[in-house]
Amino acid sequence: MLKENIIKKVLDKALANGADFAELFVENTFNSSIVFNDDKTQNNIVGNDYGAGIRVFYGQTAIYAYTNDLSEKALLDAADAVSKAAKSSNNIAAIDLIKKDIKNIHPILIPNNTISKKDKIDFIRKINQASRNYSDDISQVDIRFLEKDQHVMIANSEGLMVEDNRNYSRVYVSSIASNGTEKQVGGEGPGRFAGYEFFNSIDPAALGKETARVAVTMLHADYAPSGKLPVIINNGFGGVIFHEACGHSLETTSVARGASVFAGKLGEQIAYKGLTAVDDGTLPNEWGSENIDDEGMKTQKTILIENGILKSYMVDRMGSLKTGYDRTGNGRRQSFKFAPASRMRNTYIANGQDKFEDMIGSIDNGIYAAKMGGGSVSPGTGDFNFAVAEGYLIINGKIAEPVRGATLIGNGADALLKVSMISDNMEMAQGMCGSVSGSIPTNVGQPAIKINEIIIGGRK
Amino acid sequence: MYNKEFQKIFEYAKGKADETEILLSVGTSFSVKINEQNVESFNYADSKGIGVRVIVKGKVGYAYTENFDEDTLNIIVDNAIENAKYSESDDVVFLDKYPENEQKPNVFSEELAKVDVKEKIRLAKALEKYAKAADKRIFNVPYAVYGDGKNFSRLANSKGLDRSDTQNYAYAYVGTLAQENNDKRMGMEFLITRDFNKFDAKKLAESSAKKSTDLLNGQPAVSGKHPVVFNNEMMATMLSTFSSVFNAKLVQEGKSLLKGKMGERVANDCVTIVDDDLRADGFSSSAFDSEGYPTEKTILVENGILKSYLHNTITARKDKVQSTGNGARGYKGTLGISTSNFLIEPGKHNVEELISKHDKIIEIVSLQGMHSGANPISGDFSLGAQGFLWENGIRKHSIKPFTVSGNFLQMMIDVEAIADNFKFDMSSNGASAVLVKELNISG
Repeated sequence: MLKENIIKKVLDKALANGADFAELFVENTFNSSIVFNDDKTQNNIVGNDYGAGIRVFYGQTAIYAYTNDLSEKALLDAADAVSKAAKSSNNIAAIDLIKKDIKNIHPILIPNNTISKKDKIDFIRKINQASRNYSDDISQVDIRFLEKDQHVMIANSEGLMVEDNRNYSRVYVSSIASNGTEKQVGGEGPGRFAGYEFFNSIDPAALGKETARVAVTMLHADYAPSGKLPVIINNGFGGVIFHEACGHSLETTSVARGASVFAGKLGEQIAYKGLTAVDDGTLPNEWGSENIDDEGMKTQKTILIENGILKSYMVDRMGSLKTGYDRTGNGRRQSFKFAPASRMRNTYIANGQDKFEDMIGSIDNGIYAAKMGGGSVSPGTGDFNFAVAEGYLIINGKIAEPVRGATLIGNGADALLKVSMISDNMEMAQGMCGSVSGSIPTNVGQPAIKINEIIIGGRK
Repeated sequence: MYNKEFQKIFEYAKGKADETEILLSVGTSFSVKINEQNVESFNYADSKGIGVRVIVKGKVGYAYTENFDEDTLNIIVDNAIENAKYSESDDVVFLDKYPENEQKPNVFSEELAKVDVKEKIRLAKALEKYAKAADKRIFNVPYAVYGDGKNFSRLANSKGLDRSDTQNYAYAYVGTLAQENNDKRMGMEFLITRDFNKFDAKKLAESSAKKSTDLLNGQPAVSGKHPVVFNNEMMATMLSTFSSVFNAKLVQEGKSLLKGKMGERVANDCVTIVDDDLRADGFSSSAFDSEGYPTEKTILVENGILKSYLHNTITARKDKVQSTGNGARGYKGTLGISTSNFLIEPGKHNVEELISKHDKIIEIVSLQGMHSGANPISGDFSLGAQGFLWENGIRKHSIKPFTVSGNFLQMMIDVEAIADNFKFDMSSNGASAVLVKELNISG
């Protein structure tokens, strides 16, 4: 992407005022999306994201600049700007770059650009048709078909020089059911760090039908109850509870400032004793996987919580500098337009030993959250919320009528201790996680879990 | 700016595409964040991008690039034309003539562009310092940030349209965490302006600190239906979350609750909602939209009656009306519709009057989960919230995090009164405090 001697010059320039560390991140990304709605292919757009970000550290001060101009002059100007933003008396010797080859643990079998647009649109049409065939209640189907091929080069003043390719494939489907006055939505967004083999692995008709089923079920559902109730949160996207209630508060971005409810709690019991949680970038071709993070470190599997005991935070380079913990390969960013920060990869609660039926059977009056929507958290207070996309009442140990419109709220530190049963059916699901370093692909996951008591914001 | 690139793209596209439009965006931005009176981070950005939109036989295709090499500029034209072939969108045309806008909001300050970086750092440091000093219960200041930026955009098409615009802005925000009796609460305050002298670090910091300490030691909410006041910031948040109900494209696709309701009552008498591109105090002001069409003040709801949707030229043609100048796209995106300065007009009551109108009122000052707990298609919402219990006009106590749920359209019908304390949020949505007859509270 860039000549080695230019990379070296840029890093040298960035260090010229005595910075402790300098890093160059260069990106060339191909994006493509097809937007289909109202039974028609509406908009096709392809594009090229292209630029570089330069970061230097002076002590615990990080200075970051980016530009779309990869000419030697523009890069040297940017390096000059970051170097002049601060000054110290350090004098780091000239850098020797050592090009490091990385092992690709996420092979791409069928590059997306080898498949015709017509085939992709045929695939989309099958989803659309299956959804509409499911019920006359389906009034609209929106589908977005996304491909991304990100090529990155990372070099730093420790001599690192490494390149990587990340291929992402995803399809979002949302079906709307309407009875004239009311509308309800069912959505799915499967994706993988993979090429077209991912789309080949999906049954488009089943995908369309599933989104329609949820929309129609919710259209005919009554509103959820209000108050404090026990809840079973199903596997897959249910893992968003851990992501929001706990994951963000284990990122050094909030831990380092002491602003996290879990700061200073390593080795302490912070969750139900049967709960083990993992953040793993090594899972082959998973949506949140990587070969290296966006600071050039080889990815790894990080045990966050083991049997309820807090074992590790998620640590990026600056987080490591501030907290003293070793980096965990969690330095991630949306693009060169963001400085990296500690972020999640594939984050999930590991399997437990309880049987799903026993969990449902243990509740006289509660809620079964079959599918979750998104959520958010305020890491400083630990307050989180997330929405139930497909919910049911549990009455006398049995799943009963569907209910809609419920949001669950709670406090992370508190909710983890109120988990009382964990099933053995772990599954993951895909999401885009937004935070300080932009919007990045992450997997959430869990087996079904039981939480003894949580506030449910329904309307009855 | 970038005349050479524009010429090359038009020349290359000539004969291949029936019509071509080029959107250029060039910007710089800066931000500084403080931690413990040290600069935690400096960010400088220098960005540019070109997006092309072509029409081939009435079908539209898009492509963009951030790399301005001549080869790449040609490739994006080819890509856009290829994309148009697979589009099934309705017949798209550019207008023969794009009217001028007689009003041109002033969106650039020469003075702001001259502020020294040392002043900016001093301001951000002062935010943190005053926040910590404001109250001994403030134990952490996770945000003490100043930022500014400048954007130049140019839009030209093969019908001869060529318009450009330069805007700048500056903002500061501070976030505070307060702690007492093991309870932690967060507060935030911000200002966005083009006049650097308007930043009052002490005022912003003390306001944020007060917001967080006021919420400490909450009592549980009593679940049930209650009269609710959304404060001005949270009303703006509600309004922006459901702004897509006015989007004419979604109306035409049957995805808006306001479909078929033109001329009908959709809110209480006291509610007037407008989208005003031309407001001098707005930060989404512009004389023309992303299609080059002149913008205007559009009255969407007047005294509770639905008067207009938000249009671009494509949806306007379908509805046989004029565009409202709300065509929106960035160089990386496709043409859609968005709000500009979007607001509910202030009412006559002061806040004290508003909050005294019922024996018991729950005031909401913080909302969480807008992207997951609110559904703009159904209008249903169930959101995490924080706030206070008021009894007979007296604030009794703060309330532990609770949920508020209802339906946006019903809520607008149930608006009982609007206060006079109008405020824009960071994203150009504006509102005053609003009293709603009843909503479901769960705690």
